[in-house]
Amino acid sequence: MLNNMKHKYLSYIALAVAGAFVTTGCTDDFAKINTDPVAYGAGNYEPAYLLTTAQLNYTGSPDNAYETWRSNLIYASTMMQQLAAVTSYWAGDKYLLNTGYAGAYWERAYTEQLKFAIELIQLTKDKEEHKNLYQAGRLMRAMILGRITDMYGDMPYFDAGLGYYTQKYFLAYDTQDKVYGDLLKEIEEATVALDDSAGKIEGDLFYGGEIGQWRKFGYTLLLRTAMRLTKVEPETAKAYVAKAVGKTFESNADNAVVVHDPSGSWTTQNRNSVVLLKGPENVQVKLSKTYVDFMKSNNDPRLAVIAVTNPTYAEDGTALGGNANPASQKGLPNGFDIDGQNPLPDAIGGYSSLSPSLLSLAGPTFVLTYAESELLLADAAQRWSVGGNAEEHYNAGTKAGITYFEKYPGVGDLDAAADDYVAAHPYDAANGLKQINTQFWAATLLNGYEAWINWRRSGFPELTPVNYPGNATNGTIPRRFPYPLTEANNNPVNYKVAHDAVRGGDLLTGRVWWDTEN
Amino acid sequence: MKKSLLGLVTLLLLASVSAYAQTVTGKVTSATDGAPIPGVSVIIKGTSVGTSTDTEGKFTLTAPSAANDVLVISFIGFATQEISVQDRTNIDVVLKEDATELNEVVVTALGIERDRKSLGYSVTEVKGEQFTQAREINVANSLVGKVAGVNVSSINGGPGSSTSVLIRGVSSLTQTNQPLYVINGVPMSNESNKLKDQWVNEPDKGDGISNLNPDDIESMTVLKGGAAAALYGSRAKAGVILITTKSGKGEGTVEWNSNFVMENIIDLTDWQQTYGQGANGIKPVSQAAALDAGGNSWGGLLDGTDVVNFDGVARPYVAHKDNMKEFYRTGSTFTNTVSFSKGFAGGGIRMSASDLHNKSVVPYSGLKRNAFNLAINLEPVKRLKVDARANFVLDDVTNRPMLSDGAGNANFQAMFIPTSLDINTMKPGTKADGTEMPFSSNTYATNPWFAARNFINDTKRERFIGSLTARYTFDNGFFVQGRVGRDSYTDRITGVVPSGTAYKPGGSISETTVKFYEMNADFLVGKPFKVGTDLIISPSIGGNLRKQQEERMVQNGDNFAIPFVYNVTNPRNKSLDYKNYNQEVQSFYGMVDFSYKNFLFLTATARNDWFSTLAVPGQNISKSNLDILYPSVNGSFAFSEIWDLGPSVTFGKLRAGFSKVGGATDPYQTVLNYGIDPRLINGNPIGTVINDAIPNSALVPSEATEVEVGTELGFLGNRLRLDLAWYNKKSTNEIIRAPASGTSGYNYVMLNIGELRNKGVEALITAIPVQKTDFRWTTTLNGSFNQNEVLKLAAGQNSLGVNTARSGNGFTQHVVGYAAHQIMAFDYKRDADGNIEYQDNGVPAQGDLKTYGSAIAKWTTGWNNEFSYKQFNFGFLIDGKFGGKVFSGTNFYAYQFGLHKETLPLRAGVTGSNDKLTSGQAYYSGLASNVSELFVYDASFVKLRQVTLGYTLPGALLGNVVKSATLSFVGRNLFFISKKTDNIDPEANYSTFAPGLEQGGVPPTRTYGFNLNVKF
Repeated sequence: MLNNMKHKYLSYIALAVAGAFVTTGCTDDFAKINTDPVAYGAGNYEPAYLLTTAQLNYTGSPDNAYETWRSNLIYASTMMQQLAAVTSYWAGDKYLLNTGYAGAYWERAYTEQLKFAIELIQLTKDKEEHKNLYQAGRLMRAMILGRITDMYGDMPYFDAGLGYYTQKYFLAYDTQDKVYGDLLKEIEEATVALDDSAGKIEGDLFYGGEIGQWRKFGYTLLLRTAMRLTKVEPETAKAYVAKAVGKTFESNADNAVVVHDPSGSWTTQNRNSVVLLKGPENVQVKLSKTYVDFMKSNNDPRLAVIAVTNPTYAEDGTALGGNANPASQKGLPNGFDIDGQNPLPDAIGGYSSLSPSLLSLAGPTFVLTYAESELLLADAAQRWSVGGNAEEHYNAGTKAGITYFEKYPGVGDLDAAADDYVAAHPYDAANGLKQINTQFWAATLLNGYEAWINWRRSGFPELTPVNYPGNATNGTIPRRFPYPLTEANNNPVNYKVAHDAVRGGDLLTGRVWWDTEN
Repeated sequence: MKKSLLGLVTLLLLASVSAYAQTVTGKVTSATDGAPIPGVSVIIKGTSVGTSTDTEGKFTLTAPSAANDVLVISFIGFATQEISVQDRTNIDVVLKEDATELNEVVVTALGIERDRKSLGYSVTEVKGEQFTQAREINVANSLVGKVAGVNVSSINGGPGSSTSVLIRGVSSLTQTNQPLYVINGVPMSNESNKLKDQWVNEPDKGDGISNLNPDDIESMTVLKGGAAAALYGSRAKAGVILITTKSGKGEGTVEWNSNFVMENIIDLTDWQQTYGQGANGIKPVSQAAALDAGGNSWGGLLDGTDVVNFDGVARPYVAHKDNMKEFYRTGSTFTNTVSFSKGFAGGGIRMSASDLHNKSVVPYSGLKRNAFNLAINLEPVKRLKVDARANFVLDDVTNRPMLSDGAGNANFQAMFIPTSLDINTMKPGTKADGTEMPFSSNTYATNPWFAARNFINDTKRERFIGSLTARYTFDNGFFVQGRVGRDSYTDRITGVVPSGTAYKPGGSISETTVKFYEMNADFLVGKPFKVGTDLIISPSIGGNLRKQQEERMVQNGDNFAIPFVYNVTNPRNKSLDYKNYNQEVQSFYGMVDFSYKNFLFLTATARNDWFSTLAVPGQNISKSNLDILYPSVNGSFAFSEIWDLGPSVTFGKLRAGFSKVGGATDPYQTVLNYGIDPRLINGNPIGTVINDAIPNSALVPSEATEVEVGTELGFLGNRLRLDLAWYNKKSTNEIIRAPASGTSGYNYVMLNIGELRNKGVEALITAIPVQKTDFRWTTTLNGSFNQNEVLKLAAGQNSLGVNTARSGNGFTQHVVGYAAHQIMAFDYKRDADGNIEYQDNGVPAQGDLKTYGSAIAKWTTGWNNEFSYKQFNFGFLIDGKFGGKVFSGTNFYAYQFGLHKETLPLRAGVTGSNDKLTSGQAYYSGLASNVSELFVYDASFVKLRQVTLGYTLPGALLGNVVKSATLSFVGRNLFFISKKTDNIDPEANYSTFAPGLEQGGVPPTRTYGFNLNVKF
């Protein structure tokens, strides 16, 4: 009886076990179940869309213009006295340290710009059909990494952005000299490798895929990158400038520019406008007195285009108009606040705001311009007699630095006015570097990054620092962003090495490798 | 199922009945409602002879030596009684309900009911009435202080917000630490949004457990350790809570329960009342200056003079001490549940309908909930038992209050209004044109009335949880059970930033629809059989198939074409998002129970889970890489059954268990996924990378191995009982969405790196110090101590960031060598002699980032007392937690805004070595930024959690229609007996997922009201 029961029982168990194995036999579906139906794999994706993203995000974060707000506007543009703000948290205006803001550029550039350039490279590498797209990816990568190192100095470079592929998640920092060595090599190689016969580059916001323009972009980027080494390695700089001469941008039509689209919210709108149209920035951020005074004293045609007083705004916050009369313009002195330690003596309302044209959500972001290119060539010619005639480059750069504003919505023809301006401000070789780099500064409004980098490189324009009570720099203009605290938290060992190695300390007053004190 | 098990035991036992016996019959009824109780165990003490009652509560049993025999009558949820037979042939028994019965049948994993005595692990059952009398909107909150080793805390996010239930500490570094809830054998979703970000300012949108109607709950069984939960395999790591809903039994009953409670905020802020709005000691002199001063209380001495306000109106510069009380209103919750229940031969039916209507203390906010429950169990043919359950819930929350950051957050803004402003002058929060009336030029400082009235944060949920179970038991004891269950819900989440909001004048809207389902189908077969005379072996095997899908469709847009009209077609800029998560887990499990002479028990289990989430798309991975095995073994030695321990020791048992359980991975984490942004830039698609963490194809599920030992002792006829447990639980292969250096391209990476350990003890003491005819006092004291330690992170990694306070200078981190969720803050910078160092501007400099202790309390305790005197009963619960820390964003901002009393001393003038200092404002705001250690508080507290006073109407008053009626006064969260935090509730917290930070939540409330229960 017991035996019989056991037997029966065991047969039930056997049946159930068999049933269970039938069930588990279905794991063949598991790879399919674990495939995201709302995503693409490397096999069925279009890598060109990643170029679009890398280009778009180079103009700033889609997340409420995160680092544009903090690094470009709050810090760089006010330190360069292009803009000024009485807003208490606009730390750059007052040389205060906000480590979060100062670290913002690093935090977003790697994860929102570089990531896409790296993926683009990974998906196009060694693929004949993506030959030019691959080179565009390399150029984007170099440009993105270049701006990070110019802000911070030593940085994870060679393995940067490759975490998925290398399984390196806590990266060591490469010294800036090594970074620059590779940047120059990469830009040159990628530019040379562009192939006219391999077809247009898809997904390209800069040039609609034109290879000829990409080649000029590559050489202009090579020029700019080389010129960063003006102080520290002039021989290297000269050698690379020589390679670029004659192959750089030829007109404003070659400008690398992203024209924004208001329809896609923060993702596609102009980053600077996203920030400056919102309160309190729309009321409390103004053109700097230094910038407006420079325009006024030189009868600059740009002033009528870029500035208004008493701005008016639509209900949804877009800028409508204001008094654009150049004579009425008044720049806000840097280093003041409303209610804090250095209150502005008069009302903020009377100072010049950016014009509605420059605040358009559909407006352009200039990534690399003909004006910058010509002025860098002028600098090289003046400094080292490399690359042609300094005066010609200066004249072309100065003019383009005015006419490029035509790209902003609602700005008319500035050609004649620009010619008049150039004629009225002839090149003076004795003062050449000052003239050239002051024009560079005037032509990088809203690109505070580039203005700041070039100021550190060239020493121009000559800015008078503010001395806000309790500032973090002893009344000097900051020269570098301290490394972000996220690195201290998430990559502490490597961070410490780099943090301790910064010349002058990991502070606003520290210096990157190329920013020598001579 | 329980009945069939008992019946089986009875059958087996009756075989040995003596021929000289006497037959005893009787009927068992409930003292509560007089209804007969089926399935009650009636055993002759000291023997294995026994039976169980039939559907009419009747039993028949043969007593071998009737004169001396003692009947032991026991049933789950009732106090066990012992009655001498004394040659009687008819014995009727009235059983009293008892929430803390020791010698009872308890529900264990997979819904298997077992004798508590046989369990080799700690299990605590909490009875339904613990959830219904002094009730909470989120039923999980009712567990606080009631179960040793269970640390319950709620998010201060208003009605229907989430509750954290931590069982035996933090067992996972970055995965959920919330238990698996299983309702009537079917796992239910308890997803909550994991507010965990420096910039978060949004409402807590509730969790899954909050949807249940407490009136439908028969009991909750907390399976604390791995040994208890091992049969849930990869879902068991954080413990399991089994919920059994009520089923039909007894004679037909209609029950109506009505509960009305009111709640008021407890204003814990103790702000300075000396200085008013302004900056640098100056009162605002113009409307513009008043707006610029905004939330700053750095103005002049409150001198009663007229000072212009944000709206241009001059008002006396005096302290308004009751701004919080003026802003928040008296909230109320009115709950009515009607249920119909009836037992019949072979089964029963119960139906209930419930309506809950809550008015939050936050203006314009509230919750409505309707729940419908149906339970049918029957025996359509002999030996076949069928059990069907359906639970339908409509949950509708209007304007869930925001947490943390200030923009659009009424709580944040109301709390920090400068004392010289009267919050009522900010009403109604709008200008004549309907746009926000700002009180500050900082546009992110939203007018609190505007935030409460004009912002929309609504959620609506329709949820269905149902199951069907069939079990067939053959004559030889072999059983086959099949069950299918489904939990599904649809959520609609609406968020609107209204037109005219200062920080976003164009406004924005977001409409999210979430469709979720989880289906579980399982089977179990087994048979207990006897080996020899003393050993019963009960092997069984089963399997489970689990499919889960979550679809999430988001429509959003900003800049309304027609202002003040809030629908998703109105925005000028529109966008959408779509996610679809699928996963499947297949499981196969088996267990075997050994029971020797009813005093020695051993259970071994094994479960193997196969996970779809481990599969790599495009790769053929062998099956062995997709699965993991979860074994367990536990045993119990009921030594009082064989040893005579003297008259004072009634019961004694030792138990021990070992287990390995796990925590699964999420879908789509094994490869990099590319996507397309829903927006276009000038017609060009924008590429995206979907993973925000670097995927890892080698990922495996995390594991926890646990050893636990314990004892249960009963003294003096079980009037004093003790349950002790010790456990050591080590979690390994922790899946970590580890912060990577962003330079890798990603801020996170999925890694199997962490290890952590929880060691602890739990004690439960239950005593009945007084037990007289009219008066009974039951007191229960539970306490637990858990020591948590993070053992290992990635190579070379000493800490793992968890969360960052909005202030940016307070963090929570997992730090190797310390308990998880360490509060991190910056200390003062000190020189070699320990003197505080100052910056050039005279503000103390920032020192090192240091650990200040875990956010999780080490000690939790609860002391529950029940007194019954004739028709009255009185109870109170005091609970406490000790050893946890909190980083207070509230106090940080109180410094920044100059409201904290500690910001008073240096205002009048700065002296001494601080001659560089320009103002008290600069000093204190700089101090707050630099030395965040000031805002780390000991979160220990003792609270009078609950008081109930009930009166059961005498039967004589009720007549024939009403069977019983009980009216109770109830109060919850009445007051703090002790706390160590300034200005805040020590329990305040805005994330169940990343605890330890507080800011901008709903103030604590005290609740009091009435409960009326009538049975017809």
